[in-house]
Amino acid sequence: MPTTAEPVLTTVTGIVATELATSPDTVDPDLDLRTVAGADSVKVLRMIARIERAYDIELDDEDVFTVTTVREVTAVVERALAGGAAA
Amino acid sequence: MTAPAGESTSPDSGELLTPWAVLDDYQCFGCSPHNPHGLQLRFRERPDGLVASFRLGRAHESYPGVVHGGLVGVICDETMGNLLVLRTGRPSFTTAMRVRYLAPMPVDVPHECRARITTELPAADPPGTDPTAPGLPAPGLPATGLRGAGLPANGLISAEADILNAAGDLVATARATYRPVDLDAARDRIQLSDRAAGRLADALTAPAAPAAPVTTPVPVAVPAAEES
Repeated sequence: MPTTAEPVLTTVTGIVATELATSPDTVDPDLDLRTVAGADSVKVLRMIARIERAYDIELDDEDVFTVTTVREVTAVVERALAGGAAA
Repeated sequence: MTAPAGESTSPDSGELLTPWAVLDDYQCFGCSPHNPHGLQLRFRERPDGLVASFRLGRAHESYPGVVHGGLVGVICDETMGNLLVLRTGRPSFTTAMRVRYLAPMPVDVPHECRARITTELPAADPPGTDPTAPGLPAPGLPATGLRGAGLPANGLISAEADILNAAGDLVATARATYRPVDLDAARDRIQLSDRAAGRLADALTAPAAPAAPVTTPVPVAVPAAEES
């Protein structure tokens, strides 16, 4: 699990960058992931799976299938962490 | 792929016998070699858990060319569940499982399911110790951690499983919780003759044995590593 000192946005960005085979520096947190070349729905789901695994949480599909940006994903993760959504 | 679909080509790949193999007629849909309608999964040890390599055919479809999603759950559950049995030496009942489907799983393509335990397991307790009440004897309870692992205080163990394709891409992930149960207690819930229970008890306490070479066609196939 990521350290508590590491911002969720940093961790999520890193996971997204890994899945897209790019550098975290190139990931714009406000860019619609669906418009990123190579970021199809399967890759987005793989990102979500890795994020859930990293934080030991289970995100609701209502959130998973509506978020579009890294910042929105981060907000969902932070809500899950704050709400004790971890299984 | 060098093997025809539906035949194992890995008779000597370090596959393990699960304790259930001592039962002449066990019919587990997931892992029994005796059930012609089952998946006949076979397992190998990994440093962090257990792996099952498989390739399902059209008999296991949902949409044309796609493996039924329910079977994806079966495979994850089987791999995690047998890992727990091998680690704790106890039958383990699934109490909850969640599967996240990331991509359709095509038929006739090799995949791997890798399972690991995520609960930190204590060392084995002394024989007859009740894991839910440390220090108190538990009537009828044999040694916990017969294969080296004890049980956490709440008696529940969590595990994760990943299914990957031959390219190493995630196809599905699962997480589940199990309740390992002493064999005597499990006999209230499963049908075992006294003779079968005795053999199973011995197998649960014995080190995991390698599986015998496969000589008959089975509906699961080669590890991805053997792909060319």
